[in-house]
Amino acid sequence: MLARPALPSFDYVRANTPDEVVRLLQEHGQGARLLMGGTDLFVRMRDGVIRPQIVVDVKHLPGMRSIEYDEVTGLTVGAAVTMNQLARHPQVQTHYPLLAEAANSVASYQVRNRATLGGNLCNASPAADTAPAVLVLEGRLVLHSSQGEREVAARDFFTGPGQTAMRENEFLKAVRLPPLPAVSAGKYLKLGRNKVGDLSIVGVAVFAFPDGTVPSGYVFRIGLASVAPVPLRAWEAEEVLATHSPGEESFALAAEKAMEAATPIDDVRASAAYRKAMVRALTRRVLGSVWEVLE
Amino acid sequence: MKTQIVGRSLPRVDAWDKVTGQARYPGDFSMPGMLHGKVVWSEYPHARVRRIDTSKAEAHPGVVKVITYKDVPVNEYGINIYDQPVLVAEGDKVRWVGDRIAIVVAETERAAEEARRLVKVDYEPLPVVSDPREAMKPGSPLVHDERSNTNILHHIKIRKGDVEAGFAQADVIVEGYYITPYVEHAYLQPEAGLGYIDEQGRVTIVSAGQWPHDDIHQIAHLLNLPEDRIHEIVPAVGGAFGGREDMYIQHLLALCAYVVRRPVKIVFSREESITRTGKRHPFYLRHRWGATSDGKLMAVEIEGISDAGAYASTSIPVLANATSFFAGPYVVPNARIDGYTVYTNNAVTMAMRGFGATQPPVAYEQQMDKLAEALGMDPVELRLKNLFDEGSVAVTGNAMPPGVGIKETLRQAALAAGWREENGRWRRPDLGQPAALHKRRGIGVACAYKNVGYSFGFDDKTTARVELSLEESGAIGRARVRVGASDVGEGVHTALAQIAAEALGVPLERVEMAPLDTAEVPDAGSSSASRHVYISGNAVLRACQEAKTRWERALREESGETHIEAEYTFHGRNARPTTSYDPQTGQCEPHISYGYATQIALVEVDTETGEVDVLKVWAAHDVGRAVNPEMVMGQIGGGVHMGLGYALMEEFIQQEGLVRTRKFAEYQIPTVLDMPPEIVPIIVEVPDPTGPYGAKGLGEMTTLPTAPAILNAIYDAVGVRLEWLPATAERVLSGFRSRRGFGNLNGAGHQPGEKR
Repeated sequence: MLARPALPSFDYVRANTPDEVVRLLQEHGQGARLLMGGTDLFVRMRDGVIRPQIVVDVKHLPGMRSIEYDEVTGLTVGAAVTMNQLARHPQVQTHYPLLAEAANSVASYQVRNRATLGGNLCNASPAADTAPAVLVLEGRLVLHSSQGEREVAARDFFTGPGQTAMRENEFLKAVRLPPLPAVSAGKYLKLGRNKVGDLSIVGVAVFAFPDGTVPSGYVFRIGLASVAPVPLRAWEAEEVLATHSPGEESFALAAEKAMEAATPIDDVRASAAYRKAMVRALTRRVLGSVWEVLE
Repeated sequence: MKTQIVGRSLPRVDAWDKVTGQARYPGDFSMPGMLHGKVVWSEYPHARVRRIDTSKAEAHPGVVKVITYKDVPVNEYGINIYDQPVLVAEGDKVRWVGDRIAIVVAETERAAEEARRLVKVDYEPLPVVSDPREAMKPGSPLVHDERSNTNILHHIKIRKGDVEAGFAQADVIVEGYYITPYVEHAYLQPEAGLGYIDEQGRVTIVSAGQWPHDDIHQIAHLLNLPEDRIHEIVPAVGGAFGGREDMYIQHLLALCAYVVRRPVKIVFSREESITRTGKRHPFYLRHRWGATSDGKLMAVEIEGISDAGAYASTSIPVLANATSFFAGPYVVPNARIDGYTVYTNNAVTMAMRGFGATQPPVAYEQQMDKLAEALGMDPVELRLKNLFDEGSVAVTGNAMPPGVGIKETLRQAALAAGWREENGRWRRPDLGQPAALHKRRGIGVACAYKNVGYSFGFDDKTTARVELSLEESGAIGRARVRVGASDVGEGVHTALAQIAAEALGVPLERVEMAPLDTAEVPDAGSSSASRHVYISGNAVLRACQEAKTRWERALREESGETHIEAEYTFHGRNARPTTSYDPQTGQCEPHISYGYATQIALVEVDTETGEVDVLKVWAAHDVGRAVNPEMVMGQIGGGVHMGLGYALMEEFIQQEGLVRTRKFAEYQIPTVLDMPPEIVPIIVEVPDPTGPYGAKGLGEMTTLPTAPAILNAIYDAVGVRLEWLPATAERVLSGFRSRRGFGNLNGAGHQPGEKR
């Protein structure tokens, strides 16, 4: 075991069309890796975790770095939009403040200058900070392949640590978020070992809005990071809040259910037991602060 | 004493070069025809090396040489004991993952990198010794079976008075078992440098050593060359904190140049720097203290065990220091103290900011707070009843020399933090309201002290030479100071230049510090032990005084001289002789001089997550005389930063000798947002009459009280005693929940690879 191998040799291709990307993926299979921000890719290559022969730069494809908002269709974020771009975009801040908040919680400012939304999601780390927000905003991922485009719901996208529903010759072009209700509130809370830059020990996103068709009168969506093999929705907790009127009691019950949904591991950052307890504590806290806004 | 230059916050002499990017650090040096070296590291913490096969690596394109043990003239080194192989030989053992098998030297860095993966080593794994407490026991596998039949590297005993009688007179007794973790130095610049043969045929290294003259001494031994055939150049240094006191790259650079006779550059990655170099000692500290109802300490019983890791490094002097500080800066009539340092297959442990003075306050300052609580006494008041004065007798039987400012640091810090004194009784401040309902505030006090200079009879000395160039008028045009003090970022060159300017009566701009090349400047010892201002400052001061006398004589005699020189060697023993521990009683004159400190921390604890916010730190430091007050304040800020990390998050984790915290994503140091919004530096000046202009030392003392002050504040806030560092949010919450009867978090608070 070596401490740190240097970045090995590789071929670099700047792709100009989606079809070129697909062709390269078909040609090289696992030997090709797509480059957007590179903040994870190059670290893994340097550490010898992956050894692609060819690195395909996809961030210059049309639309990959643009953010578009439409009242009817919602928000479309190109996969190579950086975290800082996302966090500072006026329409994202106005209409999707939860997404801006989540993007802004990733690593450090310098890393956010390069790290992309698409990269964060495609790496499928259980600790991906934007994943809970995309989950509770019911995002859809636009995947491109030789068969054209298809959309996959964020809830179906993550299949395991580092695993996604993307097929071998597919790549992520954009993330679409539906338009949001006129009244809504959201918040992402992250616990790390330090106050900036650490991977989250636990991350909890809550998005809520009034809805007359639900018994409680409100929809609450809860997304969790770092507490299971994949970022996930706490469905049973959400169900509690669909049937119980919002308040301290139902929040405590929902937090309990969220904790039950978590299946974390022990690692150097925290024990599984602490992570579970923190899912409960943070879920309760986030529900409370979201409710303060809605009430 | 009235001074013109000493005592002023003048800009650092290296500031301009550093902020404009002109300063060159070891990694910035390259030469034509230069090769690149990469180390092949041990893959096991404990194994016998059966066979080393370098054939594939040697055949790799671009590889010039694969250096193995066969190329090392004398394959042993060590700052204290020659117990480390430079490169591990076939048939010998690797004893930790920082042991080296080979160095691949190639035309390009890439070729060296590729080829080091091609060196094949056949290992026979051996049982791993990972806990010093187990390693002490008879029957434990031995780390150095060829040297000794025990893993205990050293044992120190202090016996003073009658401990049983002391406890019998005590009205309260408090106990504790404290564990401090392995800590990484985490300097900005990982190890790097260049080795080559210079035009005079000398082995030359450009590297960041803390004690370059000692590096030369060790390298001369391992290359079997006279010391004057080797020299080390120390350019700008990106931090050290003790981590560059031992050689981790210097000897490898020298060996490469010696073997291949071409320039060779080696640059460690951050991961190599973290996983393959030395660390601060973990200590296991068992304390039992007794005091009378009016708050007088009567007896202490202390056992401290440190993990020496795989090789001795400075573990014996670190233990000696630590053992002398186990009981804190307090008058204790009866003491039974035992200190042990024990070999394991963990990372080598070595000097790190405090040199054995950093771990003891984690225990002794929590002991003091436990006593204060048991006695119902304010912690400031209890400390003031027991702290040293000049002439107080320490557990080692020595009287504390003039310049004891510990009580003054406590008084000033306490008053600044809002304590009030009324007729000798001290009353704590109101802490104000926490930011949220689930948060609680607490305040904690900690005092600490530490030696200045090398101790226990070691001949601590610096030689300084000053050369005056005189103008036609006879005035001093330029003063060049030659002294081998490595400026590791703490600013010693500025402090010494200020002392020289003061002594010569010239502006600071006229003083030039000669670049550090061991062939050109005399030995000044290591940049450690908070010693340079005191020891090297004394040498520079006296050399300058002598030069000034000669200059004045030259003027009087109108001799027409244009160049005047003077040299002085200052020995610490000439100010205050020290002695080694008496083997039976530990009684001795341990140290030359001391620095004293008190810090007070105000914290807020989140009772739902266990997170600790440090809101404010008051830091009072008795430095004797602040040569440059702004640099003192900078040191205080840096010391608090390291102490905060020690208290709350820093922990180098190993599991059966394998490193779990290999990079900064895994090993956390505090960020700017983790720092208190306010640090109040308080400079206290109780001069040591033997120090230059009364100055003592400061660098290490700034970090000593921070962790125990924070730990005492956490206890004050939520009633949780963190005897096991770091006080991570998880451990704080776990303690809080079990205290509140909520039940412990099942399994929480335990990190992999650790056991209590």
